[in-house]
Amino acid sequence: MVALYGPILDVTSLGEVAMTKATVLYAMFVMALALVLVRRHTRVEEETGRAELLTATRVGREAPLASAVLEAGLVVTTVAFLAAAGDIAGGLPVQGSVLFAASWWGSGLVGIGLAAVACQLTASARTAAFIGAAAIGALYLLRAAGDTSAGWLSWISPLGWNTQLRAWSDPRWGVLLLYPAITGLLVGGAVLLRNWRDLGAGLFADRPGPAEGSPRLRDVLALTLKLHTASLAAWTAVALVLGLVFGSIVTNLGSLFDSPQAQEMLRRIGGEGAVADAMLAAILSVVAMVLTAFGIGVAAHGGTDERDGRTEEVLATATPRSLTIAAVLAVSLLGATWLLLVSGVATAVGYGVQAGGLTHSLGRVVGAALAPAPAVWVVVALAVLGLSLGSRWAMLGWVFLAGFVTVGLVGELLNLPTWVIELSPYQHVAKVPVEPVDWGAEAALTAAALALMAIAWWRFARRDIG
Amino acid sequence: MATVAPLIEIQGLVKRFGSVVALDGLDLTVLPGEVHGFLGPNGAGKSTTLRSLLGLLRTQGGRATVFGLDPWRDAVEIHRRVAYVPGDVSLWPNLSGGETIDLLLRMRDVRPDPARRADLLERFELDPTKKGRAYSKGNRQKVALVAAFAGPADLLVLDEPTSGLDPLMEQVFNDCLAEHRADGATVLLSSHILSEVEALADRVTIIREGRAVESGSLAELRHLRRSRVHAEITGGLPDLAGLPGLHDLALTDHTVTCTVDPDGLPGLLTALGAAGVRSLSSAPPRSRSCSSTCTGARRELAGPPRRHGAPGAVRAAPGPAAGLGLGRPARAVLLRLGSGDRHAVPDAAGPGAGRRADQLQPGGGGAVRPDPRRHQPG
Repeated sequence: MVALYGPILDVTSLGEVAMTKATVLYAMFVMALALVLVRRHTRVEEETGRAELLTATRVGREAPLASAVLEAGLVVTTVAFLAAAGDIAGGLPVQGSVLFAASWWGSGLVGIGLAAVACQLTASARTAAFIGAAAIGALYLLRAAGDTSAGWLSWISPLGWNTQLRAWSDPRWGVLLLYPAITGLLVGGAVLLRNWRDLGAGLFADRPGPAEGSPRLRDVLALTLKLHTASLAAWTAVALVLGLVFGSIVTNLGSLFDSPQAQEMLRRIGGEGAVADAMLAAILSVVAMVLTAFGIGVAAHGGTDERDGRTEEVLATATPRSLTIAAVLAVSLLGATWLLLVSGVATAVGYGVQAGGLTHSLGRVVGAALAPAPAVWVVVALAVLGLSLGSRWAMLGWVFLAGFVTVGLVGELLNLPTWVIELSPYQHVAKVPVEPVDWGAEAALTAAALALMAIAWWRFARRDIG
Repeated sequence: MATVAPLIEIQGLVKRFGSVVALDGLDLTVLPGEVHGFLGPNGAGKSTTLRSLLGLLRTQGGRATVFGLDPWRDAVEIHRRVAYVPGDVSLWPNLSGGETIDLLLRMRDVRPDPARRADLLERFELDPTKKGRAYSKGNRQKVALVAAFAGPADLLVLDEPTSGLDPLMEQVFNDCLAEHRADGATVLLSSHILSEVEALADRVTIIREGRAVESGSLAELRHLRRSRVHAEITGGLPDLAGLPGLHDLALTDHTVTCTVDPDGLPGLLTALGAAGVRSLSSAPPRSRSCSSTCTGARRELAGPPRRHGAPGAVRAAPGPAAGLGLGRPARAVLLRLGSGDRHAVPDAAGPGAGRRADQLQPGGGGAVRPDPRRHQPG
């Protein structure tokens, strides 16, 4: 739990306990938001050539970067204000709320800095996204390692500062200065890099590709798979590392929570039952939400391909529409399921090594990792349904995911009505292995996913392309 | 002509995007084996027509067949025999040009022929190892063209295929097109440049605001290249009746108004010169269907244009649509002339050379809606 959410430094503070999840995990989402915004307005614009149009006018070379940083800064600040207002309205101490929001703001700033640098390194907007996401992931893992073993590691990661700030009790105001300082360094570095490189180019030149296509690259399914192979490999690495790290620390954590007070606290946050099982269930449910992003990314990418005219080029060949949308469905759903499986196996391995006996853990943990699969399918199917309604709706999946994650993680905290919380398919999955698998819910979610897929498939064959 | 079944037949095609009418009862007939030029200004509905023919768009009215099949229902069946080059070619950023070419061929069920492919790459001077994002617009277009030309196709659908190519590459394109045509392929080629279509096409359809306003062979559309001449005469009226290439002659006491084929222009000028000219205006070639509906042209028909300076000076007519009466295309032609392009309007040389200057006139007729009821078949 410490690894997942960060430590609870003062278990008597209501604010600290309530906002444990939000302190680190949500701060990561704010970082990711900053990454999306900055990348969208710098590297994506360069890749599409729109930046060329703009910088040819009376606009300086650094202007797109500067405006992207500024915009993302405004968004992050707004989010922080809303977070502070929400906490205060929720009855938490004012000073703590403000400081807590400041930690989000700081994380967002660091995210902006990371994204600004990541977008200078490579000509590909997708690779830039990977680099940025990998950096955020690395900071998260650094903090996880720091909070559970070597404490100094937490001080290297800005996500660790969020906890070390001690927003809710005995705050360290000085920590707040660290965020802008590191952000300033990162953005300054990005500007230097930008001035060093050509428009549209990365820091390193593109390697030439093969002069001929592989015979295997012959239909839209092979094409869709090829377009997402690199992404799937990166995500597989993420699933592997997350699984191994969390699996191995699950068993260590019982000792950190040896006071009855802490044990009680832990049970309240994560679920009931044995500490390790509660942790596994909590970790795997969050991992499932994170891995859903791969499937949504595939659907969103389909929208970009269509808007740019590449789907038109495919459909002008002897490629049926049904095959085109089926390829998107196959890669997104099978990819996400594969990632769940990888995370499950990796968690089981990490857990088994510590707990002494892989055979004991494998089936149980992998089963627990796959339990949320039908919920993941529903969300991915919703994303593909968005694509099949029209290319501009292809981003709809992200909205659904953000909504479901929000109601799932803070819905009960904010006392949202039950029906709102139950809109999220993730809420209908039993907390395996603490609870037994709810086969009825699994079947219902699978049926819902199938129905959504059928609608998407039907709709895509009947609309204008472009 | 009536005995041959058309390869593409469109009747009264209607396509609306929300409240915007893109195709407004379009008719188009393409015969087997011909190169059909599809001419019109930007936004006239050329790309929409081509994309409808490929079953990418759902039309709301009218009828279209390709190879006698329905483009929406039988899209895949049709596409097996079609090579398509979109107007704005977009490539997969991480696939190399060579991978893209082979992929597009294989998706058409064509096995890439290494010799043919290598030959085309060499002729188009294209490096196939670059990544999609690294190609310029012209090179992206070349990738699509190589993919289209590297396999057999019964029908080539080309949307402004040379818009990003330099003149040398245009020549390569023309050669490739000729080779495919010799193999019996039918070509539907959209363009907003008259000279490009003129050099390649057997027949031409002109589209404006979603409707076909002219269609026919280049010979039938000769009047497209006629100039309208208006002269004020100082002496007696010359005898013009016997002159070749003269049409629509209208005489008053002191004025001569007519249209004239490029070949007839020297004779006309000689005759007018002999009669003594006070002023002379010459309007550029245009589609008659348009000239009879453009307000500028109507003004011109209603009365003589403004007086011009020195007698005998060839001056531009004010106002009316330049070029084909299509507005923007004329400017495109002119830009090409200015850059030393070989695509000079064929009849721009000789005594009528002043018409180059005519085309500097901004296209006044571009926004005017053609009225088919006023259409007078040439």
